[in-house]
Amino acid sequence: MAETKGFFTDTTLCIGCKACEVACKQWNQLPDDGFLFTGMSYDNTVHLGASTWRHVAFIERPVPLTPQHDGAFSWLFSSDVCKHCARAGCLESCPTGAIVRTEYGSVYVQPDVCNGCGYCIVSCPFGVINRREEDGQAWKCTLCYDRLREDMIPACAKACPTESIQFGNLEDLREHAKERVRKLHESGAHNAYLYGATAEDQPGTEGLNAFFLLMDKPEVYNLPPDPCVPTKKVKDSWLAAGATAAAMALVAVGAVLFGGRERV
Amino acid sequence: MSGTAVRYKDSVQPVRTDSRDIDRRVAVLTGEAADQQASGTAGEHAQKQAEVWRNLPQPEANDPTYYDRPLLNEPVWKWAIPTYDYIGGLTGAALVLGAAAQIGDTASRERLIRRCHRIGFAGVVVSAALLVEDLGKPSRVLNMLRVFRPTSVMNMGAWILMGSSVLAFGAFVLRPRKGRLRRVGQFCGYAAGVFGAALATYTGVLTGNTAVPLWQASRKILPILFGVSAMSSVGTLFELTVESAEERRLTKLFGTVGQTAELAAEIVMERQAAVVPRVARPLHRGLGGFLWRSAMLLTGTGLLLGLTPRHTRNRRIVSGLLGTLGSVLMRFTVEHVGTVSARDARASFHQQRAGYGAAEVTGRTAAVL
Ligand code: SF4
Repeated sequence: MAETKGFFTDTTLCIGCKACEVACKQWNQLPDDGFLFTGMSYDNTVHLGASTWRHVAFIERPVPLTPQHDGAFSWLFSSDVCKHCARAGCLESCPTGAIVRTEYGSVYVQPDVCNGCGYCIVSCPFGVINRREEDGQAWKCTLCYDRLREDMIPACAKACPTESIQFGNLEDLREHAKERVRKLHESGAHNAYLYGATAEDQPGTEGLNAFFLLMDKPEVYNLPPDPCVPTKKVKDSWLAAGATAAAMALVAVGAVLFGGRERV
Repeated sequence: MSGTAVRYKDSVQPVRTDSRDIDRRVAVLTGEAADQQASGTAGEHAQKQAEVWRNLPQPEANDPTYYDRPLLNEPVWKWAIPTYDYIGGLTGAALVLGAAAQIGDTASRERLIRRCHRIGFAGVVVSAALLVEDLGKPSRVLNMLRVFRPTSVMNMGAWILMGSSVLAFGAFVLRPRKGRLRRVGQFCGYAAGVFGAALATYTGVLTGNTAVPLWQASRKILPILFGVSAMSSVGTLFELTVESAEERRLTKLFGTVGQTAELAAEIVMERQAAVVPRVARPLHRGLGGFLWRSAMLLTGTGLLLGLTPRHTRNRRIVSGLLGTLGSVLMRFTVEHVGTVSARDARASFHQQRAGYGAAEVTGRTAAVL
C-alpha cells in the first residue's frame, strides 16, 4: 500500500482564479453544469456536485477581518473539494461496495458498481457527492486516481498557480501546514487555523485527507463546524429499532392470546 | 451515448453541444468521467439552482453562511421511497402478526394467518418493484446483494428484504399444505415474523443515519415511529377489509396500540427536534408544517373514531381510511421535511454548534473559531 496522499488547501494563498475547476473539468472530461450567472460574487459554480469536483468559494462581505486592512470589507477564497475523510460517510453508507478506499487512502466511487441508490448523498456531512440526473449514478472527486497511478499529481494541484492547493503525503502536508499556521500567527494573522487536519481537529470524521487552512469560522466557507460521520451514532438507532421490534412482537402475541376473545 | 442540445438558440450563432465541447472526430473520451452521460441540457437543472440565488442574503457576522446556500446536497429520493417505507412497514408488521397468530391452537385463526401471509407475500413483491422503480433497473437492486456490509443500513435493508421475501413466500405457499411441507411453512412463518419486525423498523434507522439535520436529530425516534406506524397500518388495513368479528378484535388491538404510539412518537419527534429550534423549522413552517399537522390530525381522528363504541360498518371504514391516510402521509412528510432541512445550512450549523455534532459522541466539539 502506498502512503496516504491528500490535499492541503491553504486558502490564504488562493486568488480565486478557478484554474483548479477548469483543470479538473478538462482532465476528467466532466460535462458542464450549464452556464449560469448567479449575479452574486464571482462564484458562478455555486456548489460541489456530480460534475463539479472542485468549487472555488468567493466570500465577499462587508465584515472586517484581520489582517485585511480594507475597512469594513473582506474577501476570502477557498477551493473546496471532496475531503476524502478518514471515516467517510459516503463509503460507510454505500450498500453495493461501489465506494472503496484506494491504496492512496482516497475514497473512490467505482462507476461500474454504483447503483445510484442515493444513500451516499445524504450521508456525506459536507454535501460533496451527488447523483447525475442523466445516468442516475453518484460521482465525486477521485483524487485523480488515474493520474496517481501514472505518478502524476492531481490536475487541480498541478494547475494551481499559487500553491494554494498542495498535494503530497498526508504526513508531510500536516507538518508543512502546522509550520504555515505558525508563520501566519507570527505575521499577525492570529485567526489562521487548520480545519480537519487530524483526528483531534475533527473527531467526527477522524481527520480529512483533504484539509484546509481557514481564516474565519468554517460556516463562512460553507463548511460544517463539527461534522460527524452518521455511522458514529447509528447504534442508538439500531437499539431503538430492536426495542420497537421486540415491543411489536409482544403486542402481537398479546393481541393473539387475549385480543381475539369476546369484547376486550 | 450522449445526446446534444442547442445553446444560445436565439443568438446569431447557436451552438450545438453535448456539454463537453470535445470534438469526438479527433478526440476519444477516456477520462475518469468519460462514462457520465451528458445531454447538453444541464443548463435547465442549473436554472433551478439559480433560483435560490435570486434573493440576496444579508451577511450576518455572528451567524454566517455562504450566501445562505445549502451546505448539503439534498436527498434525491422520489415518491417510490416513502411508498416503500409504508409498504415495507405494512408487510413487516403483517408478518409479525402472522407469526404470533401461529402460536398455540390456531383453529379459529387460520383465516387471519392466511391473510397475514398473503399481505406479506404481496408486500415484498411490491417493495421489490418499488426499489426497481427507484433505481431504474432490476440489476441495480442485485448490486446490493453482492456484498454484506453492516456499516451500510441500506445494505442490511436489502438483506432484510431478501430474507423476508424468501420466508414470506415459503409461509404463503407451504403452510396451507400438509405434513412436512406444512411444518416447513410454519417455520417460515415464524422466521418471517423475525425478519418482518426488522423490515418494519430498519427504514427508520436508515433515515436517521444521515447528515440531514432534522433526520439526524430524530435518529432515535424514527425507528420507533416507523415501527409503530407499521402496526397501525396493519390495523387500519384490516379495519377496511376484514369481516370476521374475532379477527377484527384481534387486529384492532394490535393496530390501536400502534396508532396510539404513532401519535405519541410524532409528538416526541417534534419535541426532540425543537431542542435546536432551527432544526425543527420544517415541521412548523410552510408545506412541511402543514403536512405534518395533517398527518397527526388524520391519525388522531382515525384513532378516536375507532375507539368510539357502537362500531358501525361505515364508521369502521372511515376510521380505517383516516388512519391509513395518516400513516401514508407521515412517510411522505418525513421525506419532505428532510429535503427542506437539507437545504438549510443553518440547521446543520446550529445543530453542531449546540453540541449535537460529533461532540455528542466524542464529548467535545471540534470547532476552533
Ligand atoms: S467529503 Fe463526503 S464524499 Fe468526500 S469522502 Fe467525505 S463523506 Fe465521502
